[in-house]
Amino acid sequence: MARNRRLQSPARSLANRLLRRFGNLPLVQRIQNYVFMHVHLFVASLGRICRTPIASAMTVLVIAIALTLPASFHTLVDNLGRAAGNLEATNHISIFLKPDAVNEVGSRIARKLAEHPQVKEARLVTKEEGLQEFRRYSGFGEALRLLDFNPLPAVVAVTPKDSLTRPEDVDRLIEELKGIDQADLVQMDSDWMHKLAAILSIARRTVGMLDLLLALAVLLIVSNTIRLELHAREEEIAITKLMGATDGFVRRPFLYTGFWYGLGGGLLAWILMSILILLLDGPVSRLAELYGGGFELEFLDGGKSLPLILAAAGLGIAGAWGVVDYHLRRMAPT
Amino acid sequence: MLQFSNVYKRYPEGGDALAGISFRLKPGEMAFLTGHSGAGKSTLLRLIPLIERPTRGQITVGGRNLARLGNRDIPHLRRQLGLIFQDFRLLYDRTVYDNVALPLVIAGFGPAEIGRRVRAALDKVDLLSKEKRYPRGLSGGEQQRVGIARAIVHKPPLILADEPTGNLDPALSEEIMLLFRELNQVGVTVLIASHDLGLISRLGSRVLELNQGRLEPEH
Repeated sequence: MARNRRLQSPARSLANRLLRRFGNLPLVQRIQNYVFMHVHLFVASLGRICRTPIASAMTVLVIAIALTLPASFHTLVDNLGRAAGNLEATNHISIFLKPDAVNEVGSRIARKLAEHPQVKEARLVTKEEGLQEFRRYSGFGEALRLLDFNPLPAVVAVTPKDSLTRPEDVDRLIEELKGIDQADLVQMDSDWMHKLAAILSIARRTVGMLDLLLALAVLLIVSNTIRLELHAREEEIAITKLMGATDGFVRRPFLYTGFWYGLGGGLLAWILMSILILLLDGPVSRLAELYGGGFELEFLDGGKSLPLILAAAGLGIAGAWGVVDYHLRRMAPT
Repeated sequence: MLQFSNVYKRYPEGGDALAGISFRLKPGEMAFLTGHSGAGKSTLLRLIPLIERPTRGQITVGGRNLARLGNRDIPHLRRQLGLIFQDFRLLYDRTVYDNVALPLVIAGFGPAEIGRRVRAALDKVDLLSKEKRYPRGLSGGEQQRVGIARAIVHKPPLILADEPTGNLDPALSEEIMLLFRELNQVGVTVLIASHDLGLISRLGSRVLELNQGRLEPEH
């Protein structure tokens, strides 16, 4: 029984509050009025921001800059991660055979390796092919002409299976290949990739912390702007409270103001990011070409732009809420 | 409608602003609250919308004991009151129409209902033609009439006015007081703080006289 009453009373007090708020207007009308009020505030708060264009633009710009910083770091880290991933995926292991090993030995090794469970492809690069490639790409073609023999060894180019991603597994495969009788040198530049992976994980964590700090900055920027506006509208707030305004009524327009600042900052940050990426796109693809191409700078797509903009709007609302609540508590109950 | 029972208000910085105030206003009654400045008129009026709470004693408004109302109930109490101030307290960046509409917007009325009621209230104070003007462009008497329209637009049963004619010249003051009497004649309870004794005696309503925080016996 007592439990029942406990359960009932919050619902009853809510019902009483709603009744007192809306009197005995029909339900449909009440909902209509409520929606109308929000639409009105939505537009009116934007209008108020636009009435002080320079001050508002500066606030929005500061928010945008605060947001562009972590967003560009995210883009940087994501793209580096992807670049590293590309390199990993196309990595070959080269087995340089002993100089005296003839091409036939190489092709036997290649055929055998092709059946290895962790190998996707194994191809022989004969001594002659090697010489041709070397002449074509190295610029030392003339020097080689002076030699009366081919100094290059036969090479077996091994491509590991795509499923072989863990560095330990790759290392194990390399150890195994080193055991091949005629192998002179087994080479894969995986060392620097390990280092890159470590650097990337540090960078990701740093970006995470940066996110928090700059979110806090956005919160403070919005709070401070709203605080100034609260100050300017102190008399208006006092009067509306005397006319029977609830804290919610006083708070609402400021929440919308915060929302607009956040949204504006988010959108502008997105535009700044786009410009940044457009400017970087040329140099990056030139760099990528040097490394074998196939890499394009990835922009913040829908999956990342939308959260950025929504988070900005959310931070705007939160910042406004905090400062208005503080102000209302200070002036309570009048 | 309004009842004070042995109400005290003491400020920490100095003495009793109100001491043992008891009186009762019947529904539809009109009364003046007089006394020298500092006698406690404003303090008394501030206790009714709970701008401040009494130190001791009981106040009821429309049968509701104010001591029982929490801070969350204050907005709903104030929506039952019409408040009028000496310095008008209008919003100077809003039109006359928007000023008068404020209590209705706060109470959550729809635009159609707001329009109808605001025009009725402005008509009552004879300012219908100035609804689009801003308060600064109006005379003092007109500004106070905007204040009155705002106080009656939501049809409160009790109107409280703190020195409503304090900033107006005698002719305008009389005009405003006659407006209050008109409101009273349609059944609204009115309590007006004023030290304009000449005007008050001509209107012939009940007078509550405060002297150093105490009510003088009524004649």
